[in-house]
Amino acid sequence: MKAPGRTYPRRLLAGGVLLSVALPFVPLVLWAFSSRWFYPQPWPQAWGLRAWEYIFNTAGSQIIPGLMQSVWVAGLSALLAVALGLPAGRALGLYHFRGKQALAVLLTLPVVVPPLCVAMGLHLWFIRLGLTETLAGVVLIHSIFCLPYAVFVLWGVFANYDPDFEDQARSLGAGPWRTWYCITLPMVLPGVVVAGLFAFLLSWSQYLSTLIIGGGRVVTLPILLFALMGSGDRPVAAAVSLVFVLPALLILLISARCLGLRTATGVP
Amino acid sequence: MGVLELIDLTVTHGATAVVENLDLAVDEGELFALLGPSGAGKTTLLKAVAGLHAPAAGEIRLDGSPLTDLPPEKRNVVMVFQKPLLFPFLNVAQNIAFGLRMQNLDSREQQRRIAEILELTQLEGLGRRRIDALSGGQQQRVSLARALVLQPALLLLDEPLSNLDANLRQQMRELIQDLQAATGITTLFVTHDQSEALMIAHRMGLLLEGRLRQVGPPRELFFEPVDRAVARFFGGRNFFSGYLEDGHLVTPAGRFRVPAGTANGRPLTATIRPEDIEVRASANGGLPGTIWRTSFEGSLTRLWVSCEDLELVALTPQRGCRRGQQVAVILPPEKLRIFPTDE
Repeated sequence: MKAPGRTYPRRLLAGGVLLSVALPFVPLVLWAFSSRWFYPQPWPQAWGLRAWEYIFNTAGSQIIPGLMQSVWVAGLSALLAVALGLPAGRALGLYHFRGKQALAVLLTLPVVVPPLCVAMGLHLWFIRLGLTETLAGVVLIHSIFCLPYAVFVLWGVFANYDPDFEDQARSLGAGPWRTWYCITLPMVLPGVVVAGLFAFLLSWSQYLSTLIIGGGRVVTLPILLFALMGSGDRPVAAAVSLVFVLPALLILLISARCLGLRTATGVP
Repeated sequence: MGVLELIDLTVTHGATAVVENLDLAVDEGELFALLGPSGAGKTTLLKAVAGLHAPAAGEIRLDGSPLTDLPPEKRNVVMVFQKPLLFPFLNVAQNIAFGLRMQNLDSREQQRRIAEILELTQLEGLGRRRIDALSGGQQQRVSLARALVLQPALLLLDEPLSNLDANLRQQMRELIQDLQAATGITTLFVTHDQSEALMIAHRMGLLLEGRLRQVGPPRELFFEPVDRAVARFFGGRNFFSGYLEDGHLVTPAGRFRVPAGTANGRPLTATIRPEDIEVRASANGGLPGTIWRTSFEGSLTRLWVSCEDLELVALTPQRGCRRGQQVAVILPPEKLRIFPTDE
C-alpha cells in the first residue's frame, strides 16, 4: 500500500524525470517550426514550415530513402542480434560451465572498447571480405554493437526460465520444433521483444560505424542528419532530428504497451 | 495395453548412478509406487522412462517393444511433474488441449474429450479460467487432466502430492486412485512419502542407494521386510541379532521358534515393529525393563525401554506411562520378523 505521505515526493520525482526527458525536445520543436531566430532573442521572430517543406519536398528524395534505409538496417541488425542472442542467452542463463565469467567479459568488449577502434579494426577485415559499402556490411557491424545488449537481456530472461516446461511439452507429444515454437518462444517473448527493441534503437542511432563501413554508400538517417547539421541550417537539422526521434519513440511506446499487457496477462 | 518392463537399467545423473541394474515390471492397469528417500534420483528415473533423459545402460520396454531409442513425443508415455508446469499463456482448457493439438485431433473431438476430463477431474466450469487464477490444488488437477486426456499407455507421476497441504493431499490422493481405477491406465508413481505409497499403490518397490530392495504389495513391504534397511525405512527401530540353535533363534531378548528352512548357520537379525511390542506395568512375565524416555504422539505414545541387554522402542495405546517406570516387555513371537544379517 502506498502511504499518502510518500505519493507527493514520488509524483515530484516522476515529474522531474519526465521534464528532464522532454526538456531537450523543446528547443528542437521551436527550431523546427521557426523561419527566423537570431541570437539574443529568447523566442523565434517568425514561425514557418520552411524546414518541413525542405525535408519532404526539396530534399525528400534523400530523406525518405534514408528513413527507409535506417528502418531496414536497424530491423535486420535487431533480427540478427536476437537470433544469435537467443542461443547464447539460453546457454548463459541455464547452464553452468567453466569460463562463463570470462565469456561475459568478452561479450561486453564491443561496448567497452571505443566504437571507433572496433569499426576501424574491422574495416580491414570487411574490405578483405568485400563487405564495405554494402548493406550486409553495415548490418553486420551494427549487430556487433547490438549483440552484447541482446545477449545480456536474454541471459536475464533465461536465468528465470524453467526448462522443465519444455520437457513437459515433449512428454505431452510435441516434437522439438513445435516445443520451441509453441512453448519456448511464447514463454520468452517479452524478453525477446525487449532485446530486439534495444538492438533496434542501438542500430538506429549508429553513425560512426555506418560511416566507416558504409563508406557513404549506405545512407542512413544519422548520416543525413550530420550532413545537414554541418550545413548550418538549424531549422532543417531540427526537423530532421524530430523525424529521426519519432519512429524510435513510437516503437518504444508501442512495445511498452505490448509488454505492459503481456505482463498483465501473467507471462513472467 | 501398458506393460512396462525395465531391464537391467542403469541411469546416471552427472557422475553419480541413480539406479544400477534395475529390473522391474509393472503390469497392465497397475498403480505402482516407487518409494525412495528424497534426492535419490527418482525423478531422473522417471525422466528416463519418459524419454527426457538417456539411460546409461539397459532397456525400457512398453508392451514388449523397446522405447529406449524413441523420442519422448513418440512413446505414448506421459509424465506429470512435481510442479504443475501449466503453460502460463494458455487457459485451463487450452492447457488440457495441448497434447491433443499436438496429435492434430479435430477440434470437435478435442472439445468432447476436454469436457469429459474436466468433469472427471472435478474442474467443470473452469475451462476458461486463467492459470494464475487457480489454486494450487486446481493447478495440480489441471496438470493431471492434461496428461490423462491423452489416454497414454503409461502415466508417470512425480510426487504430484508433495506441493499440496495436508487436506488437499488427501483429496488429491483419492482423486488419483479413483481416476486410475476409472481409466485403468498403468501408472508409475514416485514418492518419498511412505504413507502415500502404502495407501495408494497396488504394488510398490523400495529404492535405496540405487538398488531396488524389495518389490511387492504394500502390506508385504511393511510387515515382511526382507532386510534391515527396508525395515528401518518403514519405521523399524528394534533390531537384535542372534544365532540359530535347535530351530530356535537365540537373542538377548529370548529364544524364538524359527520357521523350518530358515538359513541355517548364518547370523540372523530379528526385528519387531514398535506397535507390536506389548508393555505391561506389572513385572510378571516378559522382559523386565525401565522406561527412560516417552513421547506423546496423539493416539499412541512412544516409549523407549531399556532392558538388560537391549534398547527397545515401543508404541503403545496405554496412557499414563512415565519415565523411570519399571515395566515388563512382551515380544509376541508371531510378530517377530527374522532375516539374515546384512553382510
